[in-house]
Amino acid sequence: MIFHSLDFVLFFLVFTAIYWWLPHRLQNVFLFAGSYVFYGYVHPWFLILIATSTIIDYCAARGMEARPEHRRTFLWMSIVTNFGMLGFFKYFNFFVDNVAAVLASMGLPWNQPTLRILLPVGISFYTFQAMSYTIDVYKGELHARRNLLDLATFVSFFPHLVAGPIQRASFLLPQVETPRRFSTEKAGSGLGLICWGFFKKLVIADNVGVIANKVFALGDPTFPLLWSGVFAFAIQIYADFSAYTDIARGTSRWLGFELTENFDHPYLARTPADFWRRWNISLSSWFRDYVYIPLGGSKAGEMTWARNVLVTFLLSGLWHGASWNYVLWGAYHGILLVLTRAHRILKPAAPVRSERHPLAAGLATIAQIAGMFALTLIGWLLFRETELPAIVRALTLSPFSAPPDDRSTGLYLFLLTLLYSVPLWAQSIWVEWHRDESGVRRPAPLVPAGWSRVAVQGLACGLAFAAILLLRSRASLDFIYFQF
Amino acid sequence: MTVSPGGRPASRSGLALVQLIAIVLLTLVVPLSLRFVHGHSADATSRVPYLPAFPGHRSRPFQAERIPELRQMNPGAVVIGDSMAGTRIDERLLSQLSGVPVAPLLQAGSGPAFWYLALKNWVVASGIKPRVVFIFFRDTNITDVMFRLDDPYRWSLDMVAGDTEEELNDVVQAALDGPFYAVHQAAERLYQVDGARRAVEPIVSRAPARWIAGPAGQPRLLEYANQRFGLDHLRVMEAADMAADAGTDFAASVQQSVLPLMLREAQRGGFKLCLVRVQRRPVNGQPPVQSPALRKYVRDLREYVQAHGGILHDDTGDPAITLDMYEDGDHIARNARPVYTRLFFERLRLLFRPAPRVSGAPAAQ
Repeated sequence: MIFHSLDFVLFFLVFTAIYWWLPHRLQNVFLFAGSYVFYGYVHPWFLILIATSTIIDYCAARGMEARPEHRRTFLWMSIVTNFGMLGFFKYFNFFVDNVAAVLASMGLPWNQPTLRILLPVGISFYTFQAMSYTIDVYKGELHARRNLLDLATFVSFFPHLVAGPIQRASFLLPQVETPRRFSTEKAGSGLGLICWGFFKKLVIADNVGVIANKVFALGDPTFPLLWSGVFAFAIQIYADFSAYTDIARGTSRWLGFELTENFDHPYLARTPADFWRRWNISLSSWFRDYVYIPLGGSKAGEMTWARNVLVTFLLSGLWHGASWNYVLWGAYHGILLVLTRAHRILKPAAPVRSERHPLAAGLATIAQIAGMFALTLIGWLLFRETELPAIVRALTLSPFSAPPDDRSTGLYLFLLTLLYSVPLWAQSIWVEWHRDESGVRRPAPLVPAGWSRVAVQGLACGLAFAAILLLRSRASLDFIYFQF
Repeated sequence: MTVSPGGRPASRSGLALVQLIAIVLLTLVVPLSLRFVHGHSADATSRVPYLPAFPGHRSRPFQAERIPELRQMNPGAVVIGDSMAGTRIDERLLSQLSGVPVAPLLQAGSGPAFWYLALKNWVVASGIKPRVVFIFFRDTNITDVMFRLDDPYRWSLDMVAGDTEEELNDVVQAALDGPFYAVHQAAERLYQVDGARRAVEPIVSRAPARWIAGPAGQPRLLEYANQRFGLDHLRVMEAADMAADAGTDFAASVQQSVLPLMLREAQRGGFKLCLVRVQRRPVNGQPPVQSPALRKYVRDLREYVQAHGGILHDDTGDPAITLDMYEDGDHIARNARPVYTRLFFERLRLLFRPAPRVSGAPAAQ
């Protein structure tokens, strides 16, 4: 079931109404059953996989506590099961295709087997989430749960099951286990998130997604067309993915849960490291805690640090999809981080911002943001373009060789994308404006309360709803991160 | 402020609950302003004359000249469909191979409503007796009457629709009355969205073109943009869709489709109706994945069509239809069209032969 369907709206309304009439234990049973209906709605066999992951992780964690001397064995049991499922369904074809290509290059033709099966949606998300539970139990940061239902509810919690944000067991499991109360404030803010999420998905992402799809279908794109398409894709993927997160967080609030934020206005980042503090935060922090830090982090010198960063980003790229362009995208961001650090080490420190003229500091910030956005766009080209020769061709296009009509068309597509994305930029700039020097958000100067809050919230939600009715795309596109 | 799990509000939370309800109500009330965007013009309330289930109007007349053309041609085979048929069938070659004239009744961007009306109002109305009529479709769209019936596509229906199309309207109404469309219709009645969309959408999409090229140059720029993204500029894509599972419940969808009407028209016209399911773009050298639901749909469709005197031909899995024959998406490349046409004839050559006549029975029975 997908969020932007009436099936889901009806499901959620009925579900929420019944949910709040049940006592806590039955709420969890109902939440578990509802999540399995949500996930198995189209392909019931997907449930076998999520149930297997849950049961194995439950047994592994219980085994770690019962037999501490075999903790490592139980951890491997969990890791092999989860990565085994992920590897089989997501990377099997990629692996055998590459083996066949290598053998063919050595003159050894191989009629490789092909797995002709759908990739179970959300498998990359829930396996990572489930593994965070067993790893935390292994590290002694969490105790193994006795209640299988609570664990299964945590793994399958439907609002974020398909495309995250990936929640840590230490954050979400206690919310499953403790009684929840309906909060009208939470429900109000949840409705705001849901409306904003639907607006971003249906009005922004789906409209600019049509532009991106058209440009990336071109066999002969010129410089202005290609980069207007990359710009459209950049807006699409942010609006699309953050919309899913917002709807997930909004619906969770209606059920009495709180999910972590996954985005912090990433296109206003100033450096690669800043970008990764703001983009897909739940996945970035997962890789930081479970890959980068266990590899040694930054404790063993600059070279080891650079290796750890590159390994982490290569794996993060591969997590996104079984294709070399994702690996390339991960490597690109890893290299950006390494180069930034090298630059900082080699170049003498610039004067701190407070010593500069405010105008100069402001212009420098804008230049930094624009520069980082340009680097991000190159990354999105690698991410979106699956054919390596096309990537090479795209990166060697000359901005001066395009015919004038292509320049006008490229500008048209760029402006159309910009027009649709104005609310997205406005929100980001507003939030950034109210951030202090250390990056902490200051409270907004005018926080309405009481009936003023009701009026502002209702008006904002109503305008979002009106805009959805009026400007929603005629092309209904799937959430991009479903494929990962 | 909170209420207890049982829903009993505590003293202060009563007000908070009222405020939450007020927010929800405001969310639903604000879009009523859309009624004023385009709500008072005749356009907003007009209905398609032959399809009153839909708002809008007729922009083209019925192409009655097709009827005498068909009579004059007296084809032995007719091909109906959208670009799936258009990019696959070379009608001249098919005519040479089969030895009978082949009439193409093709319309890019058309859907089953168009195909049904073309069958009824052109083929059957002309009184011709082709040996076979082929209708091309993809996956489940033969039983999805709403496929390409919305604004950007419906104009082509005008060319095949008579003054009234009650049966089609009944089918469309039945589809609209489902849970999904009922909500849409309610929202339409409440907010009058269609009229507002027709007014606002072009303004938004054309505004950047006007900024760049000015009012006079805007049409040219948009025309160039459309041409620039035409089929001849697209690359061979690997973006074949995974089998879509929407609408794969055959039993539920067939009664809200024009398929029974198509099969009835074929019997009325005395010819064999052959539905051709095209193979979607192969992936990794293999036919695209067929979900269990889609496979069951095709099985049920075949049984139904055969039980009603028709034939279902399914290209899916045909080893001769390979990836290199495809251009963009599911379209076949121009240079592979003769190859497909020959394959098509080889697979279905029996249908081009005159049906054995049994005294007293219609030719196609």
